[in-house]
Amino acid sequence: MSSFISGGVSDLKRTARGWRWGRRSLVPRSAEPYLLPAQQTVFPSDWSRKRPAMAVREVVQKAGLEPLFRSQVRTKVEGLDVLDRIEGPVIFAANHASHLDTPLILLSLPDEWRRKTGVAAAADYFFDTWWRAVGSSLFFNTFPIDRRGGSMATTPGEVLADGWSLVIFPEGTRSKDGWMGNFRMGAAFLAHEHGVPVVPVAHRGTFAAMPRGQGWPSPGRRQLTIRFGEPLRPREGESVREFAPRIKHAVATLLDEDRSTWWEARRRAATGATPDPGGPDVAQWRRVWEQSQSPAAEGPARRLRAWGRR
Amino acid sequence: MSRPGFVLEVDDRTPPMIVHEGLGFRLESFPLGTRVVYPPESIPAVPDVDEAIQHALLNPLDSEPLPALLRPGMRLTIAFDDLSIPLPTMKAPDIRGRIIEAVLTMAAEAGVDDVKLIAANALHRRMTAAELKHIVGERVFRSFYPQGDLYNFDAEDRDELTHLGTTEKGEDIEISKRAAESDLLVYVNVNLVAMDGGHKSVGIGLASYKSLRHHHNAKTMVHSRSFMDHKHSEMHHSAWRMGRIIKDTVKVFQIETTLNNDVFPSSFSFLQKREWEWSVKDQASMLGVRRGLSVAPPKLKHKMFHDMRSVYGLTGVNAGEVEAVHEKTLEKVHAQHSVEVNGQSDVLVMGVPYLGPYNVNSSMNPILAACMGLGYYFNSYRGQPVVRKGGAVILYHPLDEGFNQLHHPSYVDFYEEVLAESTDPAVVGEKYEQQFAQDPWYIHLYRTSHAYHGVHPFYMWYWIAHALDHVDEVIWVGGNRKAAARMGFRAATTLQDALEMASGTVGTSPSITYLHNPPHLLADVR
Repeated sequence: MSSFISGGVSDLKRTARGWRWGRRSLVPRSAEPYLLPAQQTVFPSDWSRKRPAMAVREVVQKAGLEPLFRSQVRTKVEGLDVLDRIEGPVIFAANHASHLDTPLILLSLPDEWRRKTGVAAAADYFFDTWWRAVGSSLFFNTFPIDRRGGSMATTPGEVLADGWSLVIFPEGTRSKDGWMGNFRMGAAFLAHEHGVPVVPVAHRGTFAAMPRGQGWPSPGRRQLTIRFGEPLRPREGESVREFAPRIKHAVATLLDEDRSTWWEARRRAATGATPDPGGPDVAQWRRVWEQSQSPAAEGPARRLRAWGRR
Repeated sequence: MSRPGFVLEVDDRTPPMIVHEGLGFRLESFPLGTRVVYPPESIPAVPDVDEAIQHALLNPLDSEPLPALLRPGMRLTIAFDDLSIPLPTMKAPDIRGRIIEAVLTMAAEAGVDDVKLIAANALHRRMTAAELKHIVGERVFRSFYPQGDLYNFDAEDRDELTHLGTTEKGEDIEISKRAAESDLLVYVNVNLVAMDGGHKSVGIGLASYKSLRHHHNAKTMVHSRSFMDHKHSEMHHSAWRMGRIIKDTVKVFQIETTLNNDVFPSSFSFLQKREWEWSVKDQASMLGVRRGLSVAPPKLKHKMFHDMRSVYGLTGVNAGEVEAVHEKTLEKVHAQHSVEVNGQSDVLVMGVPYLGPYNVNSSMNPILAACMGLGYYFNSYRGQPVVRKGGAVILYHPLDEGFNQLHHPSYVDFYEEVLAESTDPAVVGEKYEQQFAQDPWYIHLYRTSHAYHGVHPFYMWYWIAHALDHVDEVIWVGGNRKAAARMGFRAATTLQDALEMASGTVGTSPSITYLHNPPHLLADVR
């Protein structure tokens, strides 16, 4: 009997380790060319924007996600005043470097905005199993979009039409080295199509805190910074192709501002000298090296303590 | 769309792999860099089996359509492969039964009265009535068996054998008299692997010891490289020489079928999949089966595996002249089994499963396990062996199932007496083969009971002659030490131990290739 149990436990451990239970399974590199095409099973998410789900989400985010998030990272939020001057819905277009980006943006928003903001998430990644779909919808307000341009059960347009704002990462995927990649047209297209403003959002430090491949933030409560910019609207006669680079430039300017000051960033922007958000053309390790440094914190790190020390 | 076979290179992302070992399997973590050869996925089956059979019989290759060969008053014999293929046994209805029914329907329409059905079991054991019935189907069985018109071939019935002459190399051709004297001999085969079929069907399946001894010997087998590639197999060359003479004597209408790789039923479907693609359900099934096997008594384990029936899909059926048909057949077999492998390795790893051709509804004794690993799996190559000359072979099997006294009586004596003296196939053949082949008690058991012929264990040992000649070291992981030692091999507890033991032959960081079968594969080594 004991060998039955010990054998079972050993098998279970082996299987859990080998098939990475709780984490996304991996394919051996040499087997990648022989993978079956990804299945198009996408679970619906309309329920997640109904009142009962919103109520559950409020509890989950306020009682679970937010305390956990704050216990792992420190945040500095700037520029929220722009939201006072506009009414939703809007499209938040942000750079994307980590899974921390979504909670950072959501938990930085005022509550009334957070409750009605949906996050466009890759259908093939976040909506491929029912539990992942439910979990990401409840924790992170997500709804599925197809990265390959296919159509989905719910379109971002419908989410906007419901009066919900959107968070879109126009890069389409997380950065591999922390630097910003090319922007796709999606955010510009939606703003154009539905007549909603785009609020550029720039954040730093998420790559340093939890890069690709890491399942939990690095220890030490890394510093994250986030900055919301002035809303952008397509100008009269401006095409989607012309509007998209403006969004990217706005995010780049915000990143510059976050690194320096508003005034310096404005002056550089005026002379076209805003640093390339794609990073310098140097060896890959130097690019990663630079991004793996968290933004400087203001003042000494405050440690969370239940009781203060005398 | 089925995916081709391929060679995986084990990396840090690779989960543990299934390795079969008798009535069970283990999860093995291979060293990084190990090559793992996966067979192609099942190729599509024909949409309508009956239509495919009709089409083959009415549009044969290099032959008149079957109805044109049938006439009243003729002697028609239908021979068919015995239970040694396919492996595992096919879920009813067996494809041979469906074809035999179609042939008999045409024969009935043509007014043929004299029909006999012979199981081409050569020196294999006689099948039971139930086993015959499973192959030919209830309708055929009911119509022919009670009158004795459906029977097992008896290679020791001197009155029912006929000598057709000798080949240019002096090889005797002695086959079933009924088959040889028929106006038409229809042979229905299942071409499970590349070595089956062609002239091997009639020339070996319906032949006596006098004929078989010319190619079933150590010398021929060492030069069959491999016997899964008939163009480079001495054994097949001999069968082909005989077949061409048989063809001049009797009109043979060969019907060959090919199956896809749907070997495991749904309850064991995880064994059919590539490990990293296992769903949670597959992982749970694997864990459940492993736990069940760990507590099941041997009899229950045996039943769990041997009751397994495969849901093969028919990928092709061709009929007509033997060689033309066989060419077509091999195209399909290669499409299903062939995997390109670049270069040889120092170590070849193979898991020997619970079943081989000679232990259907029986037990896998150590000799059969050796034959399965070093005979069939080792020879599953084209071009050159997967392992280099002088390399090592690591096999997985407990070697503890013992001998089935009903089916394998001569194996016991071979194991206890012959192997105790020598394990060299040439030496044991020279010294003891005749004695076993002519032993009246073994012949009696072969003819009246369900025993393999007395000489059969020697054939198993010849089957592994090429491997023994080619490699320097054979190690059985998890194998019974006494049994391994009796056969001239060594046993190890784990793969790591086996690699340590083999390091004297292949060094401390050898290149390793693991053949991930079943399902069946044929390594095309370039």
